[in-house]
Amino acid sequence: MDTAATGTAPPLRAIRISKEYLGGSFKALDDVSFELRENQITAFVGPSGCGKTTMLRIVAGLEYPTRGRLEVFGKPVVGPGPDRGMIFQAYTSFPWLTAQKNVEYGMKLMGIGTGERRERANGFLKLVHLEKFAGSYPRSMSGGMKQRVALARTLAQNPKVLLMDEPFGALDAQVRWEMQELMIELIEREKKTVVAITHDIEEAIYLADRIIFFSRQPGRIKADIPVDFKNGRRYQRKEELVRLPGYADLEHRLFAMMREEIQETKTA
Amino acid sequence: MQESRAAAIGAPNHAGHEAANDPAPLFVAPKERFLEFRLQPTSQRAWMLGTLGALGFFGLWELGHYLTAESARKFLPSVEQVARALYVLFSERNFLHDVLISCYRIFVSFFAASAVGVPIGILMGCFGNVRALLNPTLSGWRYLPAASFIPLLLVWFGPTDLAKIALLFIGVIFFLISLILDNTRAVPKELVEAALTMGASRREALTGVVVPAAMPTVLDSMRNMIAVGWTYLVIAEIVGAQDGIGAVMMRAGRFLNVDTIMAAIFTIGVLGILTDVLFRVAQHLLFPWNVERRS
Repeated sequence: MDTAATGTAPPLRAIRISKEYLGGSFKALDDVSFELRENQITAFVGPSGCGKTTMLRIVAGLEYPTRGRLEVFGKPVVGPGPDRGMIFQAYTSFPWLTAQKNVEYGMKLMGIGTGERRERANGFLKLVHLEKFAGSYPRSMSGGMKQRVALARTLAQNPKVLLMDEPFGALDAQVRWEMQELMIELIEREKKTVVAITHDIEEAIYLADRIIFFSRQPGRIKADIPVDFKNGRRYQRKEELVRLPGYADLEHRLFAMMREEIQETKTA
Repeated sequence: MQESRAAAIGAPNHAGHEAANDPAPLFVAPKERFLEFRLQPTSQRAWMLGTLGALGFFGLWELGHYLTAESARKFLPSVEQVARALYVLFSERNFLHDVLISCYRIFVSFFAASAVGVPIGILMGCFGNVRALLNPTLSGWRYLPAASFIPLLLVWFGPTDLAKIALLFIGVIFFLISLILDNTRAVPKELVEAALTMGASRREALTGVVVPAAMPTVLDSMRNMIAVGWTYLVIAEIVGAQDGIGAVMMRAGRFLNVDTIMAAIFTIGVLGILTDVLFRVAQHLLFPWNVERRS
């Protein structure tokens, strides 16, 4: 699992990132640095207002940091680009395009020809189990289906890093569970480096190989926790995962950290 | 089936003392009222009620006519008299020419207003700087009554088509811009952000995402504004025109031909409904993705 020793540049490196507002009097992020390892899933966890969303949006290039820089495989990046694919919490599949055309959209921007585009779109629609809905518009789809269209569209661009901002936050519990299992399946198959924001501690442990916990005001990394009780495996079945020794300890630790954060601001 | 299986595994019989094989008695819902919250009438009933409303209107009108003193009845002609006046207008006075002239003025001026207003509205909706540049000035213009430009337009252009088209243009465009500005701002910003993260340029995000996303509501705004256009058309034609529906009405007014005035008003109403239908059909044809489809 550990590829850091090979000496190649990591898929993403955030170097001393700060985001200040109001001329520096409010710091959403304060000197945050981290590196992603290839084919790892990292979860950003933390209380509301801890800067994890800001951090993700800075990585995506949708916002700019006040200080610091970003590198993708050693190359500095400024602004958004298809090397960093993003899945939003809000449904972003384009309502005026069919599922098929939605998946083709990103590839079209990349200049991929019609024939190859169609073929690859079909493949990715199949991957997210939407091949029967290729000709449907998002309007006639459920939230989970719209989110799968967005996922297929992003994966079809073959991004180096996949960013997810609470992608299942708007879904109901059962669909959310199905989407989480689908995510594990897809990431195992597509070999992606992933960063996912979540409020949900259980979801973080289920999806992530590593959890970065943010504290708030100013936003800093409070803890960088490897999810090593999984022994480098990903479990698609939650019922297997929760029985592993170490699961309860990690969950307990994260809940305790979350409580600490909440109480700190209560007394502050 | 399910109940017998439930009984077989010893689940409690929720039907209580009644036999499990009998269907439960029908639920007696309270009587449906005319003023019922959340009630959507069936399309058949909606048609019926709509017809009833129209008949009621014509009935009241007819009643008003017969309740008016004999000597004053010509000021409130009956439905039949107006219908006859309408027939005479078309068959003997070449009213079709006036109708077509008015339609021409409406569509030319509205097309011009849209051609200018839609792009400006979209740019203002997208970009804060454009908004800051234009909004204060345009907001001021919105408060100027278009009719107050009539003397100016008459001085500039005389009683020409151009004067009328300019009045319609002025009357419509500033409201159109502000509606389209709102339509554009209502496009979820995540759609644009998603396009940007996929590598879209600003131009691609504008033409490929913002424009198609806003188009259905933009068309709705246009549909609403063309109705306002009809108002200004009549004003323009009443003030200084030889032809057009407004001019016909003005001439009829001079001879106290109330039935002709009403026939012309009625014609405008029908044209308005037709315009509305046209826009709705366009909405369906252009944006099928925006139409609820039940299969």
